[in-house]
Amino acid sequence: MPALGGFLWLISYWLIGEVVIHFTGLPISSGVIGMLLLCATLAVRGRVPTSIAAAAQPLIALLAMLIMPGVVGVFFIIGELAGQWTAILIALVLGTLLSVLTTLWLLKRLIGQPHVR
Amino acid sequence: MSADIPLLTLLTTTPLFAVGLTLAAYLLGSGLFQRLKRPSWLPAILIAALLLAGALALIGLPYATYQQGATWLTVLLGPATVALGMPLYQQLPRIVELWRPLAICLPIAATLAACYSLAIAWLLGSTDTILASIAAKSVTAPIAIGITEQLGGTTALLLGALLVTGVITIPCVSLASRWLHIEDDRLIGFALGLNGHAIGTVRAFEISPTAGAFASLGMSLTGIFTAVLLPLAWRLIGMGG
Repeated sequence: MPALGGFLWLISYWLIGEVVIHFTGLPISSGVIGMLLLCATLAVRGRVPTSIAAAAQPLIALLAMLIMPGVVGVFFIIGELAGQWTAILIALVLGTLLSVLTTLWLLKRLIGQPHVR
Repeated sequence: MSADIPLLTLLTTTPLFAVGLTLAAYLLGSGLFQRLKRPSWLPAILIAALLLAGALALIGLPYATYQQGATWLTVLLGPATVALGMPLYQQLPRIVELWRPLAICLPIAATLAACYSLAIAWLLGSTDTILASIAAKSVTAPIAIGITEQLGGTTALLLGALLVTGVITIPCVSLASRWLHIEDDRLIGFALGLNGHAIGTVRAFEISPTAGAFASLGMSLTGIFTAVLLPLAWRLIGMGG
């Protein structure tokens, strides 16, 4: 079972993240620390071991399902946030449009015309 | 038949009921999504979440009870976040190739992705908890959940904000790229991933593999950048205690 070995690696990196946070007090989630550590390890080894790929690929494919229990929660707090929804929606929609425009404009300036300079 | 224990109470004594419900809603939602010819404005996750919420309301299962059972699934978010280190490693050559423009663009764009919405919400008088919950709106869910817990926001509201942001990013990118006359798949993909996290990335893969690769790059980099800097910035402004 290579996937099981890979899964153990993923769990271990997450636990290492917890330990790092405990001792440093960094305000980052242990998943992110584990992710960076995994990326660094793979870069040092120069390849992705079969076991890690076997565990990581199905987990990434299932991400949408793993966040679903949380997504459903939003329907149950609608009542609590009564009166706040318009502000939240305007902020999200308008903010996203502005941010997309800025991103694309910046990228066009920086990458779009590589021969200008 | 024993009448002293209601059937629902009996079933919910095991987390398997919540897990089974989640799996069923997910599979049904994905199937319906395929049947509807993959509409970009209605992602599979939204269909599945609506089905699940409907089912919970129908059988009268309190969300807290469901959530408790579903912990058996959500605990996997930890290792799943770590797993994102693999695609990140696989994209390292592309990052190195374009490191200069990306290094300039990413911090500005990722910061603004959070700041625009925060500023608008703040101007409209939203509470600190709401601000903390929508701050990570452009970050991929597993990372964003961690950030929001750090900031003291509500996970449910964050996930709602993620859904709205991801869905709205798609028409925004097609509009903006038309206004700015951009046809480069690399740019469109990067913007989709940076602003619209996983939902934008799925859309980018429908445009082209190049757009998809740049979208996952934009998504991972925004996730890391925001995860590292947002909680620090939040602490500096003195919000969230």
